Amino acid sequence: MWSNVTAAFEKAFALMGEGNTLLNEIVATTLEMSLQSSLYAMLIGVPIGALVGVMRFPGRKAIVLILRTMMGLPAVAVGIFVYLLFSGTGPFGGLGLMYSVELMVIAQVILITPVVAGFTETAVSPAYDAMRESAAGIGLGKARVALLAANESKYQLVATYLFAFARSVAEVGAVQIVGGNILHKTRVMTTAIALNYNMGQFSLALALGIILMLIVLGLNVVAAVLQAGLKKRQ
Amino acid sequence: MIEIGVKKQYGERVVLDVEKLRLENGRVYAVMGSNGSGKSTLAKILAGVLKGEGDIIYDAKKPRTGYMPQKSFAFDMSLTSNMLLGHAFRSRKEYKKKAIAILEEFGLRALIKKNAKKLSGGETEKLALARLMMDDYGLLILDEPTAAMDVNAVENAERILKEYFDRVKPTVLIVTHSPAQAKRMADELIFLNEGRVAETGPVGKLMAEPGSEELKRFLSVNF
Repeated sequence: MWSNVTAAFEKAFALMGEGNTLLNEIVATTLEMSLQSSLYAMLIGVPIGALVGVMRFPGRKAIVLILRTMMGLPAVAVGIFVYLLFSGTGPFGGLGLMYSVELMVIAQVILITPVVAGFTETAVSPAYDAMRESAAGIGLGKARVALLAANESKYQLVATYLFAFARSVAEVGAVQIVGGNILHKTRVMTTAIALNYNMGQFSLALALGIILMLIVLGLNVVAAVLQAGLKKRQ
Repeated sequence: MIEIGVKKQYGERVVLDVEKLRLENGRVYAVMGSNGSGKSTLAKILAGVLKGEGDIIYDAKKPRTGYMPQKSFAFDMSLTSNMLLGHAFRSRKEYKKKAIAILEEFGLRALIKKNAKKLSGGETEKLALARLMMDDYGLLILDEPTAAMDVNAVENAERILKEYFDRVKPTVLIVTHSPAQAKRMADELIFLNEGRVAETGPVGKLMAEPGSEELKRFLSVNF
């Protein structure tokens, strides 16, 4: 087992060092998909989560419960659902998006948006409770208070983005179904790992996994530096 | 004039039951009472941040209301930006000048560029009070506005507040545990006991001749 792991590390660094064209292409597709899907999920999920976080109405708890349940959406089920919608016989089949990066992004947005909305609600709701009376005391409106509550939770929102990106980059079930793992088109890191595993190339599969982790590590380092800079400015 | 007849209960527990309370325009009312007597609940209902049963009737249009809750809050931004909240569409230059002048009065001039989250409890309270001074309110509700301040800061805050009262002439409700502060700041005293108005009247008179045993006991312990 350890020889496989050692070989995987050696292979990972060798692949990165030699500038493998296929690897670069897969990494580029992965980043293209993950950056888009995490960004769109944030654009949709943060306002939903912030609104639920600052609204107080009967039935709110039920909405929060639904949101939190949707955070556990099974990726394969989402993949099948999107496949049925966009396949030739589905209602959106005419758009011709099957086996494209665009459809992989759509599937991931469906998968990740509830996670972003749920985390945002969890961060914004206590911030809103803490500031609600003071904000009302100087006559601030609901929308302004929602923005302020999001501002109070900005570090948690950065963490939420990192989680969204990590979830996207490490997801395999949905993208395999709607993307089809087509070489030079929709092959991403996770589907490549799965393919190599199926072919018995464990070391290569693990090496790709290591590179995937290094990408996520890089993003986390950038985010940590940005956060530190933000805190220093204050 | 504001006529208040409100009740608030959580389950079976009645925390406030004010049958009739009248606030005259431009007067300063101190609200006193033991812990759990309903002071903050009354302030919250009047400020509109808590719903109660009953009515609050205004003789004219509902006045613009400013409220400082018991727990002061500093928004995650500079002190100046905190002061300008609620003035987004007004002349920024003019209001910034006003904000700095008010912060200076509260002794916070040196901190204006700092993030307000880094303030101490007393400084946060000063900021919350200063933030309210940015506007002219018809009704001002202050829930223990100087509880976290030191003696000098309390004296300064009271001076600033009095100047504000003289200039703007709002109807004021100050919740306080200090009879001395009530005497210094208010015209009238509202004494609450177990959620009910036990006594109201001119502050000097009630302090000199408390009518109820509860107020007598409260003053003997707190004065």
